[in-house]
Amino acid sequence: MSTVSSARPAGALYWPVQARRNIGVRSLFVVVLAFLIAYGVLFPGLFTASGFAKFTQSWFPLALVAMAQAILMLTGGISLAIGATVSLGAVIAATTMAGPLGVAGGAAAVALTGLGIGAATGFIVVRLRLPAIVVTLAGSFIIGGAALLILPRPGGAIPEWLSDLLAGDTPAAFVLLVAIVLLWKLYLATPLGLSLYAAGENPVGAYRSGVPVDGARVAAYAISGLLSTGAGLFVAAQTGSGDPVIGAAFTLNSIAAAVLGGIGFLGGQGTMRGALAGSLLLSLMISVMFFLGFTPVAQYVAQGLIIIGAVAIPQFRKVQQ
Amino acid sequence: MTAWKDSAGGRRVMAVLSSRPFLTVAIVAAVWIAASFASRGFGAYGHLRYLVELGAVIGLVAAGQTFVVIAGGIDLSVAAIVTVSAISLPLLSWGADPTGLAPVLAVLALTTIIGLVNGLGVALLRVHPMIMTLAMATFLQGLLIIIAGGSAVTAENPLVHWLGNARPAGIPAGVLLWVAVSVIVLTVMHATPFGARIFAMGANPLAAALSGVPVTPTTLAVYGISGFTSGLAGVLVLGMNGQGYVGIGDPYLLASIAAVVLGGTSILGGLGTYAGTIPGAILLVTITALITVVNASPGWRSILFGSLILGLLLLSGREQARR
Repeated sequence: MSTVSSARPAGALYWPVQARRNIGVRSLFVVVLAFLIAYGVLFPGLFTASGFAKFTQSWFPLALVAMAQAILMLTGGISLAIGATVSLGAVIAATTMAGPLGVAGGAAAVALTGLGIGAATGFIVVRLRLPAIVVTLAGSFIIGGAALLILPRPGGAIPEWLSDLLAGDTPAAFVLLVAIVLLWKLYLATPLGLSLYAAGENPVGAYRSGVPVDGARVAAYAISGLLSTGAGLFVAAQTGSGDPVIGAAFTLNSIAAAVLGGIGFLGGQGTMRGALAGSLLLSLMISVMFFLGFTPVAQYVAQGLIIIGAVAIPQFRKVQQ
Repeated sequence: MTAWKDSAGGRRVMAVLSSRPFLTVAIVAAVWIAASFASRGFGAYGHLRYLVELGAVIGLVAAGQTFVVIAGGIDLSVAAIVTVSAISLPLLSWGADPTGLAPVLAVLALTTIIGLVNGLGVALLRVHPMIMTLAMATFLQGLLIIIAGGSAVTAENPLVHWLGNARPAGIPAGVLLWVAVSVIVLTVMHATPFGARIFAMGANPLAAALSGVPVTPTTLAVYGISGFTSGLAGVLVLGMNGQGYVGIGDPYLLASIAAVVLGGTSILGGLGTYAGTIPGAILLVTITALITVVNASPGWRSILFGSLILGLLLLSGREQARR
């Protein structure tokens, strides 16, 4: 940043800085574009209104959990409870929204549960100094158990108009995603958001400079919980009912999307746009394999190979240079 | 009293008494005594022997996991490797070999190779261990369903059957295997140059590499050991169950990591011992047995299990502040 002359007005700094942050994810954007074109060729309906709506709807929950995982990894944490939290969000939505609480009350219950679980996890990890991997692994049992208690078998209901609004022929998912990204930009401008990267990259230095490290990390866990249960609500709206184990696949996929997007495990490395691109790539990969006629099982095999390849190849090139 | 404490022997006793492995042993003893007062039959010799037999499987998986975690990594593919071992062994047994040793060796070689591939990804491709082993688990999961389908496969291998059911001198063969593996693991970990290198790598990989630790071969070896012990655990589980099926290894992922952490090994690497993992494994089996006794719905059982692990972590698994 020292190369930027100080004579420029403050606003002129913003775009060069953002462009520099794109450098790490540029090749990822190219790959995503290639997959988008492949998808468009295989499935020309993508460019119609309903095709676009369906596509963004299949991407939306994955994008949310990728953000939920990325915000933790940026602070140096991780969560293996994302899948269980998604399930819990789904069953709470499916049991409350058709009841006396109504849609607004149900959505509030989902949001509060997410925030509460996240904050509690964050408190245990940050203040009680327990390793995040083990806490969230144990937490996934507690949260998954709670989901099973609320709804022992798939059931419940989501009001039809809500399902139609979120998962029908509307661009609601895309609009919501844009809104969430804007909110994320806004959050990064608040003191807690600004502390996020500092707390992840160099907690000791940040702490000594007066950054609220613990607060930033607990807040990150709370936001992560909120995003996860939100994804659960959306999944419930998509299927029209709740399922206590529907979120299981999201744990691995959220980590994979974040890592594909260039988020580092050590904290402070990576950008949210990278994580979103990573989740888009993963979602495209799954769709393209589906259209190529891969069985779900072969998709597992291919997904494992592609994730290793996508993470390893850039590293390999770096080593050779 | 103070003179005794200051003497060399006294200091050693105090060090043992205040160590994490001893704390875990004390917790196990306390839980066993409390449980045998609360429920008749819990403290019976046969029941405790059964618990240790179940603990042997976790202990074997956690042996490799301890090596990996001390070296600064983590192996999330152990559950899939246990399943690979338990499913491919019946498929490899044709009955041509009367002792059944050849298929067992073949399977152990296979799982060791899987572990070595993990190590290759971590050491040479520099993929983060968590991603490498998770992706390996995903890959194996798909492959297993293709190979075995949804059906269970029955093992007719005399050696495996003996391992799962025989009781020479009243002690289950699986426990004897665990004891043998524990002795080897503790020796390798604490009395060989290889063990010292693992601790050095986990504490500070850069410093270790600069001091001449061969990082790549050591990493390969660590993940290879994890593949080997997971394969061994798969053979034992197959012997105890009689059948292998997709998902047979699933409970051992959390169990192995929890046993390692409950035993006082730092998940950040560089600190710990298998001597703590052994009581950690028995503690986990005890918790599971207690929850089964309570006779609750699956939801409550899951909540209880998670909460008890969290509570025990608070007691013994806290990371020292590294500020």
